[in-house]
Amino acid sequence: MREQLEQLRNGALQAIATASSVEQLQDIRISLLGRKGELTALMKGLGSLSAAERPMVGQLVNTVRDEIESALGVAIESANEKIIATRIQSERIDISLPGRRPLKGTKHPVSLVIEEICSIFAGLGFAVAEGPEIEHDWYNFEALNFPPEHPARDMQDTFFVENDMLLRTHTSPVQIRTMLKQKPPVRIIAPGTVYRCDSDATHSPMFHQIEGLMVDTKVTFGDLKGILTVFTNQLFGQKTGVRLRPSYFPFTEPSAEVDIACVICGGKGCRVCKNSGWLEILGAGMVDPEVYRHVQYDAENISGFAFGMGIERIAMLKYGISDMRLLFENDVRFLRQF
Amino acid sequence: MNVTYNWLKEFVDFDATPDELAALLTMLGLEVESMVKLGDGLDDVVVALVEEKRQHPNADKLSLCRVNNGKELLDVVCGAQNFSQGDTVVLAQIGAVLPGDFKIKRSKIRGEESCGMLCSDKELGLAEESAGIIVLPPGIATLGTPVFKALGLKDTLFEIGLTPNRSDCLSVIGIARDIAAKLGLKVKLPHSTLVESSEKADSVIGVTIKNPELCPRYAARYISGCTVAPSPEWLVKRLNAVGIRSINNIVDVTNLIMMELGQPLHAFDCLRLSGKRIVVRTAEEGERFATLDNQLRVLTSSDLVICDAERPVALAGIMGGLNSEIESTTTTILLESAFFKPAAIRKTAKRLGLHTESSHRFERGIDIDGVTRALDRAACLIVELAGGVQAKGCIDIYPGKSDRAAITFRPEKANELIGIDLERDAIIDILTRLECQISGCADGSVSVVPPYYRLDIEREIDLIEEIARLNGYDKIPATMPIARVVSDRPTRHQEIEKRVRDLLVNNGMTEIINFSFTAPDSARKLLLGDDDPRHAAIKLANPLVDEQSVMRTTLLPGLLETTARNMNFRSLDLKLFEIRRVYLPCEGEDMPREPLCIVGAITGTRDGDGWSRPNELVDFFDAKGIVETVLDFLDVGGVSWVTENQESYYHPGKSCRIFSGRECIGSVGELHPLVQKNFEIEKPVFCFELDFEKLVKLSRTKKTITAPSRFPDSTRDVAMLIPEELAASKIIDCIRTEKSNEIEHVQIFDVYRGKGVPEGYKSIAVRIRYRSIERTLAEEEIATLHNKIIANLTDKLKVTVR
Repeated sequence: MREQLEQLRNGALQAIATASSVEQLQDIRISLLGRKGELTALMKGLGSLSAAERPMVGQLVNTVRDEIESALGVAIESANEKIIATRIQSERIDISLPGRRPLKGTKHPVSLVIEEICSIFAGLGFAVAEGPEIEHDWYNFEALNFPPEHPARDMQDTFFVENDMLLRTHTSPVQIRTMLKQKPPVRIIAPGTVYRCDSDATHSPMFHQIEGLMVDTKVTFGDLKGILTVFTNQLFGQKTGVRLRPSYFPFTEPSAEVDIACVICGGKGCRVCKNSGWLEILGAGMVDPEVYRHVQYDAENISGFAFGMGIERIAMLKYGISDMRLLFENDVRFLRQF
Repeated sequence: MNVTYNWLKEFVDFDATPDELAALLTMLGLEVESMVKLGDGLDDVVVALVEEKRQHPNADKLSLCRVNNGKELLDVVCGAQNFSQGDTVVLAQIGAVLPGDFKIKRSKIRGEESCGMLCSDKELGLAEESAGIIVLPPGIATLGTPVFKALGLKDTLFEIGLTPNRSDCLSVIGIARDIAAKLGLKVKLPHSTLVESSEKADSVIGVTIKNPELCPRYAARYISGCTVAPSPEWLVKRLNAVGIRSINNIVDVTNLIMMELGQPLHAFDCLRLSGKRIVVRTAEEGERFATLDNQLRVLTSSDLVICDAERPVALAGIMGGLNSEIESTTTTILLESAFFKPAAIRKTAKRLGLHTESSHRFERGIDIDGVTRALDRAACLIVELAGGVQAKGCIDIYPGKSDRAAITFRPEKANELIGIDLERDAIIDILTRLECQISGCADGSVSVVPPYYRLDIEREIDLIEEIARLNGYDKIPATMPIARVVSDRPTRHQEIEKRVRDLLVNNGMTEIINFSFTAPDSARKLLLGDDDPRHAAIKLANPLVDEQSVMRTTLLPGLLETTARNMNFRSLDLKLFEIRRVYLPCEGEDMPREPLCIVGAITGTRDGDGWSRPNELVDFFDAKGIVETVLDFLDVGGVSWVTENQESYYHPGKSCRIFSGRECIGSVGELHPLVQKNFEIEKPVFCFELDFEKLVKLSRTKKTITAPSRFPDSTRDVAMLIPEELAASKIIDCIRTEKSNEIEHVQIFDVYRGKGVPEGYKSIAVRIRYRSIERTLAEEEIATLHNKIIANLTDKLKVTVR
């Protein structure tokens, strides 16, 4: 029996060593150690041995079985490793091919700039207000201190529609609508679409503005300067120089044009800033008492400022766009860059 | 407003250089929009002497000159004839660049060397035409002196962008006054010495104002015996510099004084005035009058006219008449200086589309106090330049004479509003420099009377602005406001708009923005029925072009035009959307409605061309999928897809309207082939439209979230044959009628037609996933439920399970 075991062991180890696949190894396991396997059969034969031989041979059987099991285990593991190695080898890809991208959409640059400006002012406590684009003369002009037949109306070429209405020429009527609805303190910005009958490389008959209005007790012109400095620094970078110079709008007094140091040349003078080093980006001023009168605010005890800017102009400066018409041609080769 | 540095300097003696002056003006609110330095870069154009002049050997019309530029003798070939040896001329030396980028180079002309060019006025940009080269007075300057310096032509032209409130600065004196006020200097008024005859002006001509409310002041002077002639060089050049063409000595003087003092003047040929009378009145309705520009004008009763005894001779403040204009033979002049009511002038000028330098000033308001000062100065200059004598006295009818109202001004209010801390004296000093009359009041405020020419100063706030302006905006400290906290956040409408825009962008769509106005026929192109409300667009009264003449009632035409334009540029894979307003007239309402709409268009391949994917084209279900994503995101419930009453612009077999409950919220479909053709689109396009306002209303903001089950699922597939006309959605609906909590998910995973499926049928394969939230389902439970569902399908829908 001992020789039988010896023989079986040698045969098994030989077979394991020459087996070439996991399947063959499994077969070997079954043929030796399975229920009807050779070693199992030998173990069953232990009963016929004498009581003295039985423990010795039993131990030998166990040793042989352990040896075979362990050899099988090692062989299977190595066969599996080989399989994986082969698979890995065969599955190599050319990673230089382009990735499969989910299609990327883009927002229109006008929307992007509106969102950015609104979020800067949201941080300063300004809520977003809106108003109609087809407006009454009263909101667009009269309440903003543009009396009928006033030359200041020439500053804004107006599209008229029937029933004495017009396409708003600026977002400023939203100031009036807001103040008629609520009492101070008021802190709003109003982005929106506006219209002027004017069309060339730098003028579009439709464009966008953002209006700002703050009314409270003791708001000063210096505060306007402060808010606009913070705003322009956030929009164009911390060190952007800001300059206010006197101007005129019927609905503010004192009024100012707000210039930033040219973002193209840094103030040295270039074609974009017409060698002045400054870029005009905003109109602003302290709300004129005449406007307060129209909305029944008490001009003696409150004060405030308003400002307005063209979105397209800011988009053009931010993204270095030279022709405003690009913004409304909606060419996807342009839009997909944002 | 154009003005030159030298001209300003005649009125106020400042030290600033042209560049410093430009900066100063801009910071005063008189924005210098451009600056041209006359003679700049022309230092190589110098005074020279013709030492020798002889005939060019090879050309009859040319001469050979030896010219002395003070340093050397140069050979120059010249074509002009109007000079001789010994004349002082203007030499453009080699290297000089004349106006028009004309570079002077060494050259050979007909075999003879030429080292420069002798110049004419025209070549130096000093005149539009010139007969020959410039011959200077002998000894005008050392040879070699730059000619612009020698002629005193070195000057800087400023183009100032004036705001409409500063009518006082439509004159040299007005700008000079601001400079003087800023720098603490005094303005020098031009001095006129009147020499008058003994004949009294008001005995020659009578003036009557019939409408004093429209003409509060009318003044005139009478000059006889003068000679109309071309203006002297200095006058021509001065007018040219500010962009005014010279006409003759009389008209040029009126223009010069208008530029200088801001008072438009008009000179009548007095002999052509009938009845020696001037009557200022409103025109008769329909009265006809030929203005100087040779146009016959039909007037209305609101137009103000200047008449002689019989007929209008000028359109007040706007333009004179042909019937009384100054001609070469004119000898007797009536010179008018008046103040007309701004609104009236503006109304007439606007109605007639007649905008002149004169009307521009009158409609903004001029200095009523300066009417006769300008008149006197002009009369003196005319006598000086055209000869003649002026009659004694100035006719001055001034029914509107009144003092300017005093303004109560609180210096501390100025500090408070501007956010500065100026001494009271410093504030009052600013107002004094602006030539305001000031007197103190008991309560600490001051009473301020502004000068007549500052029509923009009427209220305390106007004075506060002057303080801020003259003190300097740059001196105002930037501060942050002390504000009360207000609680505010975006409205639901704003929030949803932003989120939908984000969602569409995140789904690969590109946002477009089209003009709100469109062509009147764009609704027709969509094949909308005659009674469709979208035909009723709001029209612009003054459109720029017909294609932009009505306010859109739908976003589709713009979207489709954009699609076509992009496809023309071979951008064939498009996913476009627009979230913008449409404009709907509202019968009986004060205002039109401006609801937000969402539209989208997709076309081309699904994911763009790629190396690894078949170029699958998008179809209806891609468009529907986007809509489903939006509706799902906004949690709009009860959605159904309805094929009845489809929109005209869709393919009838590939489109539907979208409902939430009973509310139609939009549509989706393939573009109708005819509409596709109308918009010149070559490939199929799939569109969707959503009514944003309804989405906001129907969106459920409170989502209910459930915890997922922790138990295993069991999945069953069932394939069935159904007639083609039966909607696949009915199968899902039918399965869902089984109100069991154990049906976790139902999904159509295959639609098949072809082998094994009879004609007129389609095979639909559905996968049902069963799972309980509470326990593991037993095989028998699932079988019972599944069989019940199949029974339902066979009974109710008559499907054949395969």
